[in-house]
Amino acid sequence: MKKLSFILFLSFLYVFLALHSSVAATVEENFKIEGLISPASPKALKAALEKKLQVKVLDLNLKKTASGWPVLTVQFDSSAVTKDEIEQVIAAIEDPAGHKFKVHHGPLLVNAALLEEEQQAESLLGDAVEAFPQMKNPITDKVASAERGKGMYEKNCAKCHGLNGNGYGTVAHGFSTWPRQLWAWNNTGAETDGYLFWYITNGRSDMPPWGLILSENERWDLISYIKTLRNPAE
Amino acid sequence: MAKNIRAPRLRISRRIKKDQVFKIKVKFDHPSFTGLGIVDDETEPVFNRAIPVSFIRNMLVYYGEQLVSRFRMSSAISDDPLFTFKLKAVQEAPVKVVFVDNQGKRWETSKMIKFKK
Repeated sequence: MKKLSFILFLSFLYVFLALHSSVAATVEENFKIEGLISPASPKALKAALEKKLQVKVLDLNLKKTASGWPVLTVQFDSSAVTKDEIEQVIAAIEDPAGHKFKVHHGPLLVNAALLEEEQQAESLLGDAVEAFPQMKNPITDKVASAERGKGMYEKNCAKCHGLNGNGYGTVAHGFSTWPRQLWAWNNTGAETDGYLFWYITNGRSDMPPWGLILSENERWDLISYIKTLRNPAE
Repeated sequence: MAKNIRAPRLRISRRIKKDQVFKIKVKFDHPSFTGLGIVDDETEPVFNRAIPVSFIRNMLVYYGEQLVSRFRMSSAISDDPLFTFKLKAVQEAPVKVVFVDNQGKRWETSKMIKFKK
């Protein structure tokens, strides 16, 4: 009986040890490093992991991975170090500036009001003119001029200002400001001619100076066409 | 990426002769961030407003009393930028560089230009 119980004890011990060894043992694990900032220095990541935790970094695959994100292979003793601890160290290294990527609900101050010094600099070296030239469209046949301007508008202007002049052209999404809604000039008088001509000629913000590309008559044709554009919502 | 903002520093050659075109280097440790980032709020990662927007908005260069140049920047500028530009040494006067960021904060640095005899 004693012998049997001894054998039972031994077998129990064996099973226990085997189970224990399978749960807590040296394991290899892959960590996908996602995020806005990729590890700036693989060396720093490796050093931080090995310094802070009892782990061994086997590999850091930055390029050819299935997910496209860098993959870090780490060997560690699962009884001493948990996966969460490793992930925390990786997260701290991934984002060395300590940004916490949570939605920022605070006031969105993108641009504070200009300082007096900046305003002075703007008036001295800025690109805005104080007075627009007093010009009048020299082309008298406005209908024929607008017809000619339509083709030019579709070719040169519509990709940013939109076909109907609403400012939502196909390439406008990448700009710092939305292009102007050109139907705002619908049926305006001769007093706006100089203003429009100056902006088309010199450009502004993301708009190139069309004075280098289009002739003077072509620019006047464009102005004639712009004045025929109507608010699509009307 | 600079965690803290450090006052700008200006470097100029010590051997400048009159009417020589000389190089000026200005280094300013200032973070630059569009404010957008991956927001992982234990849900699906979303691209959203992550932290406040921060970037250098203007750099003004004065030579003596006169404003000689203005650099207008956006959030596309790098963190801790190094600017290099040239000036013509027409007078013995200080060169002052003023930085203003998008929050309206102002920094300045200056150095005296002295001609080598």
